[in-house]
Amino acid sequence: MSISYELVKHYPWLPSKKIHYSGIASKDPVDFIKEKIAEYPDGELVDRIFNIFKTAFENIEEIKTYKADELNVYLYTILKILLYINNSIPIANRVANLYSKHTYNKLIREDNDFNLYSICKDLELEIEYHDKAVPFGLIVEKDRRQVLQTRFSIHYIDYLRLASNLRDDYRKLVHNALIKGFVLIEKKDLTRLLQEVVRKKLIIEQTKDLSSLDDFKNKILEIKEMRELNERILGEWELKKEEFEYSFEIKYKKGEKVEESFPPCVEDILMKVDEGQNITHIERLFLVFFLHSLEIPIDEIVNLFAKLPDFDRKKTEYQVEFAKKKGYSPHSCSTLKSYSLCMAMKYKDKLCLEGYHSKKLDSQRKIQHPLFYVQFKQYRKHKPKEEVKTKTKNE
Amino acid sequence: MNNEIFLKNLFQAYYQESNKDIPSVSMLDRREFGFLLWDNQFMQRHLGFAQLDDLRQFLIKKSPKHAYSSGSLYSRPDDNDMENKGYQGCDFVIDIDVDHFYTECKNDHDLWYCKECGTNGKGIIEKCPKCEKLKITRIAWICDKCLDIAKKEIIKLIDNFLIPDFALNVEQMNIAFSGHRGYHLKIVDPRIRTLTSDQRREIVDYLTGHNISFEILGLHEKTSIFGLLKDNKGWSNKIMAKLEEILRMDPLEIEHFLRDPHWGNLTALRVNSLLNYREDFLEIINGKKRSIWSIEGFGLPTWKKLLKAVVKKVGAEIDEPVSIDIHRLIRYPGTLHGKTGFKVQELEYNQLDEFNPLDESNELIDPIVFKSKKQITQKLEITDVKVPATKIKGITYGEYDCGEIIEVPHHVAVFLLCKGVAKIV
Ligand code: SF4
Ligand SMILES: [Zn+2]
Ligand SMILES: [Zn+2]
Repeated sequence: MSISYELVKHYPWLPSKKIHYSGIASKDPVDFIKEKIAEYPDGELVDRIFNIFKTAFENIEEIKTYKADELNVYLYTILKILLYINNSIPIANRVANLYSKHTYNKLIREDNDFNLYSICKDLELEIEYHDKAVPFGLIVEKDRRQVLQTRFSIHYIDYLRLASNLRDDYRKLVHNALIKGFVLIEKKDLTRLLQEVVRKKLIIEQTKDLSSLDDFKNKILEIKEMRELNERILGEWELKKEEFEYSFEIKYKKGEKVEESFPPCVEDILMKVDEGQNITHIERLFLVFFLHSLEIPIDEIVNLFAKLPDFDRKKTEYQVEFAKKKGYSPHSCSTLKSYSLCMAMKYKDKLCLEGYHSKKLDSQRKIQHPLFYVQFKQYRKHKPKEEVKTKTKNE
Repeated sequence: MNNEIFLKNLFQAYYQESNKDIPSVSMLDRREFGFLLWDNQFMQRHLGFAQLDDLRQFLIKKSPKHAYSSGSLYSRPDDNDMENKGYQGCDFVIDIDVDHFYTECKNDHDLWYCKECGTNGKGIIEKCPKCEKLKITRIAWICDKCLDIAKKEIIKLIDNFLIPDFALNVEQMNIAFSGHRGYHLKIVDPRIRTLTSDQRREIVDYLTGHNISFEILGLHEKTSIFGLLKDNKGWSNKIMAKLEEILRMDPLEIEHFLRDPHWGNLTALRVNSLLNYREDFLEIINGKKRSIWSIEGFGLPTWKKLLKAVVKKVGAEIDEPVSIDIHRLIRYPGTLHGKTGFKVQELEYNQLDEFNPLDESNELIDPIVFKSKKQITQKLEITDVKVPATKIKGITYGEYDCGEIIEVPHHVAVFLLCKGVAKIV
């Protein structure tokens, strides 16, 4: 089944693009780009692409310049070429997150079930549409009673392929209604899966074959407009990148920079967050509790999560504030170990692996808690000076 | 004669005689094969066979102690390097083995002895009750009871999960008695082959109920405790239907289930409160009353404990790593299991119900292949500390003590020799 021309303009990542725009694939990419640049001499094409990158780097969740026109289709292809030639996973992740999030917001406003169904079909997802909504559950709370029902179900293989990446507990197969090979799924959750499809289309794998990549890159960048555009993009990235290195200023007690003293378990999650990878619920909770303990301001914590593919500002704000109110303390090393979140081995961290020598107890002690790791590192930062002093005295 | 040579010769005779009965598996030429031979402790892996006949010839020639093939497909199955094998996907393999879960009969037939002080006894223990050392050797045995439990698990898996939830049909399932303590099931479906290990874990969790969150299913406390609803499709429904079934049992049985440390592990007091509340609770389950669960002495933790026991009843006891790992080898159908001398017997779904591995009347699917019509017997000396009783073909042999000289039918002798608890005299 092929999808309408109109829908492809809205969602240029749809496979049916090949049918309506058969020219794109058959043309040499360089010729194609040149032709399109000539077609839009006012610079709209270049500006709109640049805007996507800029928006992505700024962690804003909506592409203001997004328009469902023909240019949108060409633009998508060129965007992919740019991601490919720059061969940078963080850049691609960031753009993929923005673009897929934008798509989610667009799809969620799509009140035409048939369009959603056609999109799924076009993506070759095995999907069922029920003429009558199928009730599959009930939420009963103190003063709420809500029937859950849906017209959509998706084959479990497709479901697993898309949902297992998302790592939300409630999306686990075991928590869903699986009947005759199909998972009953609410529209918003189905849309979330589509977001994942789009994200996967844009992320890249680091290319190993650098020489052929370079050849291709040089060819593309021989086009003056593309060279300029790419320079602008990379310039913007350099500018923003520094802010990303844990884009928040952490102050601990007397205005000290505390992030240098983070233990590997925290570093690892921050790195994933920074790269815009999905993190698990446990990882998220741990990070929030940990940052709360260091009295990091709420909006800085929330902003940190803005890089995640499934970021929802309102929800995150609520969760972070809630955790703060409850005053939970972060997990201990032994708990983290049981979740396989201890990264001492991975990072070969000396303090974590070997512990420290306690003068008071005159014995080697293990780090028992990530917060203690921070404290110890902070303490050690000042220690050398004192040690130097004692030495001179003894001499 | 040396045990191993004796057994190898027997295995060889079997492979010669039954050569044409060794079945094929789908896409045999793309499977990796592995064998344990009699004179080598290490598995010979990374072997491939272009056609069934080559495999059959190999079996006659080497007559291995154990024979396996991969659930995975490779373009070069005989390449030694996993990276170069050309992985093309993996069937979903399920292994149900009583070795991995508790059965009551193990208290009767599993033995242990302490390597430190020589004390021995029945059942399963962690450390020696006499010298408190952890040097325990286990002698795990089989009986028709635990094999029957394993069979019920595999039937449950098929009837309650694979058919209704995953819409698989029995033609897509290759079922086999493993030749020892359980059953294998291989799902042959091109789409399932594409799943990653992470995605397989999701299916495993669904089949077992492991990692289920009762909170996500709706259990929560807000002045009162709100429970799960039978109307919620999926696992909530499975759990509540099972709980209802349990509550409709005889009170004595209910108590047994709820008190048993392997199941509910609840105190007598709590069991009593639950029994008193039974009728009300049944009405709640069936939607005649609001789903507020209030039983004396039951806080959230107790409810969760109860629900966990129910989940364990509902889910199938499968050996998780086997289904998750995509590079595993599984026993090849029609070959012999070197620890019993029994055949890995393929079964049709509709044969399962009646199948009785230790006393099968249908010759065509009888895994005990070494029984002789002429009632040949064999003299053996028991070499292990103690050998539990074994009921094979309706007759019980043993228990035996170390040093005992016994004369048993040929097929029983093969079993004891394979088990490594006796030698030929
Ligand atoms: S030892 Fe503790 S602080 Fe160090 S990485 Fe592991 S969990 Fe984190
Ligand atoms: Zn002992
Ligand atoms: Zn038993």
